Amino acid sequence: MKVAVSTRHSDYDAIVIGSGAGGGVAAAVLAEAGKSVLLLERGRDLSFEAVGRDHLRNQRMAVYGHNAGPDIDGNPRTLEADSFPIPVGEALGDLRLLRPHEPGYQNNAACVGSGTRVYAGQAWRFMPQDFRMASEYGVPEGSSLADWPIGYEDLLPYYEKVEWEIGICGDHRTMTHLPTYDKPYPMPALPLPHKSGIHKRGLEQLGWQWLRVPRLINSMPYNDRPGCINCQQCVGFACPADAKNGSHNTTVPRALRSGNCTLRAEVMAERLACSAGGRVIGVTIIDAAGQRQTLTADVVVLSCGAVETARLLLNSATLQEPSGIGNGGNQVGRNLQGHYYPGAAGLFPDVMFDGVGPGCSIATCQFNHGNDGIIGGGFLGDEDIVTPVTMWKRFYPPDAPRWGIEAKRFMRDNYRRINDVTGPVQEIPSPQARVSVNPKVKDKYGIPVVHLSGATHPETVRTAQFMHERAKEWLRASGAIKVWGRPPPRYLSGGQHQAGSCRMGEDPAISVVDPFCRVHSHDNLFIADGSPHVTNGGFNPVETIMALAWRTTENIVAKW
Amino acid sequence: MFDSQQLKCLRALLDVIIPEDDFPGAWEAGVGDYLRRQLAGDLAKLLPAYQTWLANLDDEARAVYGADFAGINPQQQAALLSRIEQGAVEAVWQIEPAPFFREIVEHCAEGYYSDPGNGGNRDGVAWRMIGFEVSG
Repeated sequence: MKVAVSTRHSDYDAIVIGSGAGGGVAAAVLAEAGKSVLLLERGRDLSFEAVGRDHLRNQRMAVYGHNAGPDIDGNPRTLEADSFPIPVGEALGDLRLLRPHEPGYQNNAACVGSGTRVYAGQAWRFMPQDFRMASEYGVPEGSSLADWPIGYEDLLPYYEKVEWEIGICGDHRTMTHLPTYDKPYPMPALPLPHKSGIHKRGLEQLGWQWLRVPRLINSMPYNDRPGCINCQQCVGFACPADAKNGSHNTTVPRALRSGNCTLRAEVMAERLACSAGGRVIGVTIIDAAGQRQTLTADVVVLSCGAVETARLLLNSATLQEPSGIGNGGNQVGRNLQGHYYPGAAGLFPDVMFDGVGPGCSIATCQFNHGNDGIIGGGFLGDEDIVTPVTMWKRFYPPDAPRWGIEAKRFMRDNYRRINDVTGPVQEIPSPQARVSVNPKVKDKYGIPVVHLSGATHPETVRTAQFMHERAKEWLRASGAIKVWGRPPPRYLSGGQHQAGSCRMGEDPAISVVDPFCRVHSHDNLFIADGSPHVTNGGFNPVETIMALAWRTTENIVAKW
Repeated sequence: MFDSQQLKCLRALLDVIIPEDDFPGAWEAGVGDYLRRQLAGDLAKLLPAYQTWLANLDDEARAVYGADFAGINPQQQAALLSRIEQGAVEAVWQIEPAPFFREIVEHCAEGYYSDPGNGGNRDGVAWRMIGFEVSG
């Protein structure tokens, strides 16, 4: 592959669209290689104060809105009614019309740094088996389960780069589910909260593997920023100490420091700009004032997240590619996946809460693979500190009183005694789980919105039921005197772990990008987000998104 | 937003949902402020339903106890709400009584247990009660 340089002068060497986990890495690697880069972000550049500490409007508990974008008005999506078990949003004919904070929307934050601004920063490498799921388990009927065209070894050097250059804390000696680490993490694991110690003993009693959860958080001063102050409002919020490592304080500043990168926030990509011959020459944007502008570049990297990257490709039809760029095989937008989160909550006889945040510190990879009669699996971990109103809405026992003095006493006596364990299940992809566009509904820019349809493969639901039972077993072993919760029903998943919509593969008939994440039908169009993931592991995907983006972008630079 | 009769009823209702003990009840903790803010904002569409439900709650108290809701004693108030929760009502309701009661309970808990910036949980009193200690 050779990136052909266009004959006419472009505004930039490269345009990267989206400043989240993948886009930040792409911008930094390109800019540090001396390329002139324009990094576009549809959201705002948010301060800690702007993200705020609203317990009803954050990316973790979005009852009435959220705190890191997109704005809840002017950014609708439509959803097939069958894709969600309960009616969500409002009716629009047979469809549901959703605002960004509503269930089923598959939101990811829209701000500089995207989800990395407000995430928990759980930093997992996928396991070698996660890259070859079809070979390990066969292909269930109706699924599009497949192997990745690359393996763990291909990503390993980039996992190490992410761990050291973006900053991950952990204890490599406990990662016994993976091949031995050659390089330990640059920082030790965060301090172990009291409740995590109890959950560790539960795992030991069961004879299940345990590990210290690696996180994209400074456990000590690192990269010229301070260490974690163990506050209680981490996931869903910005970090008061600037110790949480996201694109906004690592890769984006690196790109800007090189002097080769321009960041433009509050700019929406309307469509890819193409030559008369159908070659990508840049992107048409609409800025906050509503001004439309076409900016040109020799290379374009899409990092909009699995939902919006697919939307942008589909909204960029040309004469040569009338159903959307890269969509000749009718594959763009298919296989959308995120993670099912089975788990359970339990009531403990003694106080579990000691206020040491962020909280999720102990996990087990006992059930990621090798479960009899089950395809794949996932890890289970303890939980970040749960805010009181989240406890009330998500983890309150279904048979406990909800009003009157008994309910008040129950919260008072048990807020510090209730704990949950949960974890992401590796989804079995379905080609019907799909992002398309709805030309009848436009966003505030006048751009056709995302339409979501289908649901995960039934095998995902079965694995989730299996993991739900393991979660209850763990809680009982940790000493819970009562456990509750239900396994999730079948629905369309994506959310902040969205992936799969522009599958990576060798064969253009059944994939969208090649093994270096180049869109098959183009020599200068690449994807650096979760879209190329063939499967999404039984793990939070962000370290893999960053590592893959690093590999993709290094290859762009090497072949330039 | 609410007339004085509705306000009197709302205050009594919230203090049955989260009563005072050695920590403040819902009203003193600011849940009324939380609700007024929400009913002028995110929950504005529910204001007519609130008004109707509160008027019907008074009707129900009069039908069963011969006085409006704020005028009966706390045991009677709790007993009345328990029956409403089961859908067992005497008065003619213009709104389905039980489901909307569950919504009001949920809003009340949101005001009481969420961050003080939302208008309830005055000075973090609910967090002190349950032991959610905030630093940083």
